[in-house]
Amino acid sequence: MFYSPVRTNAAEVAQSNRLHLFRYVEDPEQVKVEKFEEHGGYVAWKKVLAEMEPSQVIEEVKNSGLRGRGGAGFPTGLKWSFVPKDSPKPRYLCCNADESEPGTCKDRVLMERDPHAIIEGMAIASYAIGCHQMFIYIRGEFAHCADCMEKAMKEAYEHGHLGKNIHGSGFDLDMIVHTGGGAYICGEETSLLNSIEGERGMSRIRPPFPAIEGLYSCPTIVNNVESLASVPHIINHGAGWYKSLGTEKSCGSKIFSLSGHVKQPGNYEVELGFSLKKLIYDKDYGGGILGDKKLKGVIPGGSSTPFLTPDMIDIKLDYESLVEGGSMLGSGAVIVFHEDTCIVWVIKRLIRFYRHESCGKCTPCREGTAWLEELINRIEAGRGKPGDVEKVEEICGNILGHTVCPLGDAAVMPILSTLKLWRDEWQYHIDHGKCMVKTDFEFK
Amino acid sequence: MILTEESVRKIKEKLQQYPQPKSVILPALTVAYRQVGYVDADIYREISHIINIPTVEVAEAATFYTMFAKKPRGKYLIQVCHNISCALLGADSLIGYIEEKLGIKIGETTEDNLFTLVTVECLGSCATAPMMQINQDYYEKLTKEKVDQILEDLRSKA
Amino acid sequence: MADDIKDKVKTDVPTVTFTMDGQEVTVAKGTTILEAARSIGIHIPTFCWHPKLKPVGSCRMCYVEIEKWPKLAVSCVTEATDGMIVHTESDKVKRGRRATLEFLLLNHPLDCPTCDQGGECELQNLTFEHGIDDSRFDFQKNRFTSDTDNTVFDDKRIGPEIILNRNRCILCYRCVRANKEAFGEYDLGVYERGNIAEINAAPGQQVNSPFSGNLPEICPVGALTSVDWRYKMRVWLAGKTPSICPYSSSGSNILIYTDDNKNLIRRVTSRCNDDIDDGWLSDITRYGYQIANSEERLQTPLIKKEGKQVEATWDEALEVICNRFKEITEKKGKVCIGGLISPSLDNASLYCSSKLFRTVFNNNNIDFRTDYRMLPNKPDSYFGMLCNRSFRITDIDDSDVIVVLGSDLIREHHNEYLRIRKAVNFNNARVFSLNPYSVKSADVAQAEIVYNIGTDEIILVAIGLAAIEMGLVEQGLAQGFKEKVKLGSLAEATEVCGVSSDDVKLVARALAGDGKVSVIVGELITRSHGREAVASALFNLSRLLGIDKKGQMAVLARYANSRGAEKLGLLPIPTGAQVEMLKAMWGKFPDAEPQTTDAMLALMHKEEISGGLVLGGNPIMLYPDRQFITEGLEKLDFLVACDLFESETTELADVVLPMSSWAEYEGSYVNLEGCNQVACQAIKHIGQSKPAFEIIRLIAEKIGTSLFESDEQMATEIEQLLSCEPDNATPDNFVDVLPLSEEVDPDFPIPLCICDDPHHTGALTQKAPSLTNFTGEAYIEMSPDLAARLEVSEGQPVRVESPVGKIVMPVKVSKHIDNDVVIIPRNFSQIRVTSLLMRKKRVDRVRITKVDE
Ligand SMILES: Cc1cc2nc3c(=O)[nH]c(=O)nc-3n(C[C@H](O)[C@H](O)[C@H](O)COP(=O)(O)O)c2cc1C
Ligand code: SF4
Ligand code: FES
Repeated sequence: MFYSPVRTNAAEVAQSNRLHLFRYVEDPEQVKVEKFEEHGGYVAWKKVLAEMEPSQVIEEVKNSGLRGRGGAGFPTGLKWSFVPKDSPKPRYLCCNADESEPGTCKDRVLMERDPHAIIEGMAIASYAIGCHQMFIYIRGEFAHCADCMEKAMKEAYEHGHLGKNIHGSGFDLDMIVHTGGGAYICGEETSLLNSIEGERGMSRIRPPFPAIEGLYSCPTIVNNVESLASVPHIINHGAGWYKSLGTEKSCGSKIFSLSGHVKQPGNYEVELGFSLKKLIYDKDYGGGILGDKKLKGVIPGGSSTPFLTPDMIDIKLDYESLVEGGSMLGSGAVIVFHEDTCIVWVIKRLIRFYRHESCGKCTPCREGTAWLEELINRIEAGRGKPGDVEKVEEICGNILGHTVCPLGDAAVMPILSTLKLWRDEWQYHIDHGKCMVKTDFEFK
Repeated sequence: MILTEESVRKIKEKLQQYPQPKSVILPALTVAYRQVGYVDADIYREISHIINIPTVEVAEAATFYTMFAKKPRGKYLIQVCHNISCALLGADSLIGYIEEKLGIKIGETTEDNLFTLVTVECLGSCATAPMMQINQDYYEKLTKEKVDQILEDLRSKA
Repeated sequence: MADDIKDKVKTDVPTVTFTMDGQEVTVAKGTTILEAARSIGIHIPTFCWHPKLKPVGSCRMCYVEIEKWPKLAVSCVTEATDGMIVHTESDKVKRGRRATLEFLLLNHPLDCPTCDQGGECELQNLTFEHGIDDSRFDFQKNRFTSDTDNTVFDDKRIGPEIILNRNRCILCYRCVRANKEAFGEYDLGVYERGNIAEINAAPGQQVNSPFSGNLPEICPVGALTSVDWRYKMRVWLAGKTPSICPYSSSGSNILIYTDDNKNLIRRVTSRCNDDIDDGWLSDITRYGYQIANSEERLQTPLIKKEGKQVEATWDEALEVICNRFKEITEKKGKVCIGGLISPSLDNASLYCSSKLFRTVFNNNNIDFRTDYRMLPNKPDSYFGMLCNRSFRITDIDDSDVIVVLGSDLIREHHNEYLRIRKAVNFNNARVFSLNPYSVKSADVAQAEIVYNIGTDEIILVAIGLAAIEMGLVEQGLAQGFKEKVKLGSLAEATEVCGVSSDDVKLVARALAGDGKVSVIVGELITRSHGREAVASALFNLSRLLGIDKKGQMAVLARYANSRGAEKLGLLPIPTGAQVEMLKAMWGKFPDAEPQTTDAMLALMHKEEISGGLVLGGNPIMLYPDRQFITEGLEKLDFLVACDLFESETTELADVVLPMSSWAEYEGSYVNLEGCNQVACQAIKHIGQSKPAFEIIRLIAEKIGTSLFESDEQMATEIEQLLSCEPDNATPDNFVDVLPLSEEVDPDFPIPLCICDDPHHTGALTQKAPSLTNFTGEAYIEMSPDLAARLEVSEGQPVRVESPVGKIVMPVKVSKHIDNDVVIIPRNFSQIRVTSLLMRKKRVDRVRITKVDE
């Protein structure tokens, strides 16, 4: 029935008065503006237009404690407040729907099943920062998402939620659905802006930050789909309500994409601070490890975040707990792998990806990821030489903190973490010329 | 002219929307790619002409992005994700299965020019792995049975 | 760079003070750590950074450590802030730089012995400094293989003068950035991404812009090398001589590399002078030196005997010259000898010529303007005033409004074109281009105004009227301006010019604002018959809008020493001050009637001038009426021509003298802003050639008068004359603008403009093979529309006819042109466009027909 057969916990969300993003994602009618409105859609938008000053909106979002769901976790309201009040230049809002971090597939569900929620969030954000032209940057492969968003956008115009003098407020707002061309790096906000400008999607040096000088050198805010989709709920229920969800420093709910060796992969909306163990094992969520094998490790926040071992999975899924545990919340993509998985094999996949996605602007990332790929392939194939593991570690060190954008760090942090957590397994490849565990995943 | 009137019209429409013409490079490439199935220097030149941006700018942008095939390929471009989540659920053996079924290797095209097989990095369908994209469409939670069915359907459609 | 920073500090901008390697440094706010380091002589290695480009911070070589910062900082993009403590040589910094170098070397071939960059390679030097080899990388290096040429080296010729080796490229992107940002060219790009990214020519294009030679020069490694320098010699064996470009009127500073054993010039590179060339050279400057090495150079004097020129000794030649000149003057008087002197010659040569004519021949028959038409024979010309004004190249940099009138700058003033780009890139300058056809260099313009040909002065009037109409000027001034104008309203003026009044208003508003202004008048005006009207209109506009008080306006001198020629009085009528000074120096000054080039040629026709001296240049090729000048020179009893090569002018001469090129002797040249610069001797005289000034002195001596008692005397006199400041004179009030219009003969409907090819200048550069590699043959440039109407496509021949001549040449279709004006470059020897021209016309018009093959 749905384009993507992905599993969600919509039923649970519908029961809850705390979860909200997924409430209607199992309703095939939700993509239509009438249904969306019936479900309370665009109420927040009208309220903002009728009753709130832009600064009040920013204040409300600041107070809600909402942090960016795209990876970096930067406080959303604070980011908005950086847009210069007195700049004569136009401002822009870009919704980041590039969703390319391996393991992440949450924004896609929202775009396909609740597109108006995103448009409403974008509109409110635009109003808050004084923007009259907003963009949604959707990764090129998501052709279906782009169609959904286009359709929803058309309806939104037709119902007067976008366009000139919206709902009689005097506020004008236009929207463009922009699709990418296949480049992970375009999820990085400055590359995304370059990409919209028609440049190669290479990252820019910061400062200046986009909020000061972004798209077409004008003040620009880039926010993740999920961050923006959360905004109408904050307006509707109040900052206090939102702040009461989750933990003290990680407010609200978040969608986690669960993939890999679990029985029930899917997208699950839970409050921040939810137990990772529960997410993997509970029957309502992951339902346990595939084939009831032993868990070997977890990537908690997308392929760019350091790994966790089974003894660490009692951890709470929120920004601060994961940092404490040596990893990061990232985009909330939990990838699980069981005992039959060779750790070097996992890393081999990841480094190939990062080498492929390095934009080529700065030297360490461009050259370093390629060198790492060669070395890691060799180690994995059992042709590693003594000293290769140390070399990998050293090259990682030479990339870490040396690159223009965080892609370099993203490429090496998982590697460094596995070198710490499973060093013996790396070394085994050198000493024995083969993997410690046989990795051979059947497709049935 | 390779681009049809319809494509040119779509590109010109985009020109109306965007604040700056250079921004239309990527949308124009997308339009061209959907029509032609690949993009190359001739297409860069045509786009450059329509949006009045130097050809080199179009070429630079186009080659940066990997989604656009740069050479003619089979009618159906099968792109199998081989990144981590899919790999954990057997993407490699899926690729092997398709290779065997079609009698081609990665990067090759079947003799009837119907299928081209390539691998791609994560397509944002991790919780429904393993998956593949054929032209614009996603096929998720794949099994051998499903793959057989899909290929058969496409073949009979062609 | 150091100076730039000092300047910033001087002009009262806020400063910051911080510590670098223990030293306290104060710099303007906004200065990067790298710039600050360079200003105090601390060297930080860089690859992607280039002083003339916007920094991108991508190579990651310029690390420094800043206390309390968690990561190394990239100094080229990090601004210094108060209280920062910076270390440029700490262990952490060294480790970071070493890591970058190691990364860069991974795929870099170690083919230094066969690489042209060897000896001046930034990668090689730094690798040596850091003691790195590539042994830690034990994989097959990434290799590009060329589809056509040598597979091992990937050497690919991507332009007439450029070879690309992608394997050596370290992806610093300097070349593409410079090409787009500094030159506005789109023939080079970067494709793919990550570690397979590659630099290459634009699809289906050649890298052949007039600035392409800069690309190999800024490439820090041997990825881009020039065909010109390829495998010629190792750089450390070359002799190096500082010199000045003999082709550009701004006098680009260059370094000449020589093979002293063979007495040959091997290449020319920039000797960056921020105030003049900004470190960029046009290809003409870079490759033009090749004429000096040419095999075709004249080696010995030639004397015409029985209609044939035969080799002779200097003594014989001088003897003949002396005798014949004496004979003529005895028979017809001294006024009977005239001189056409090339403005590309050095000060000494120009001054000696003036002194020879004025003190030995005792006349005023001397002019350097051989490619102008119908110059007035009167001293108080407004155009003359305009030529005499001061102009500073660096003042373009911070101009807010720049107006270019009558010039495709890219064809005549390369440096200034790049300056204007810089002003736009770094200072958001607003540029307006006013021309009778759409020019390539208008790509930087905010608005381009294409006016009807021959209405140059009216467009200036229109701007004034627009300002008045918008109420931007004071009543009194408006009244004065309007009185001198025969046109009643803006609408009327724009109607005559065929332009939109909105565009004109845009220019008027910009010029009437408070911003700093530069107005540049180019060659389409200076060479035209309408120049006097334009000059008066410009003075009126300046008075109306206060341009003079807000900046500068000038006719840019065209040749290497045009300005020197003016300052040294090489015109038939020098300025009053000059005459006074010359009188004092020489004790006399001829009171003979002054004669311009045109006037002299007319006198030759009447056989009132019977002896001629042509010093450098090839007037027959340059003068805008080939028939008139040829017949004039043919009528002479005796003609001496001095040049580097044989030409149609030397062919007519009774005596031909081989002249040395600028590289063969030390000479000084005054650039367009009045700055006197020295070109040192780089090679020895070729054959028996002699410098022009020496030839003149020898002639004088032979005739029996020594021009100077000593070399010092000559130097002092020149110095004294040059010290005359430009008078920046402005007419006292609004002046009459006397438009000059012509009837259009319906048989010859299409206006023709003459200019230089972007890769050639004057008559000589055809002898430089590298330059003819870009364009070697004449062509007629026209709009796609006109080509379509003529049913011709690129490269097809057309017949071009004027009332006086007819030539056949191939078509070049130029997209940027969109009206019915055709353009023919004058540089090509096979086809002489001057044979279509008439000296008395303001606008040349032709008829074009398709040639059926
Ligand atoms: C290499 C890289 C890839 C990224 N990809 C994405 C992405 O696909 N989607 C996303 O929303 N943010 C992505 N980000 C994060 C964005 O740069 C940015 O922080 C985010 O869009 C801001 O929105 P938020 O504050 O709402 O999270 C990426 C960052 C990096 C460094
Ligand atoms: S060719 Fe030279 S200048 Fe251009 S990117 Fe490569 S190394 Fe840099
Ligand atoms: S010189 Fe600073 S990063 Fe290249």
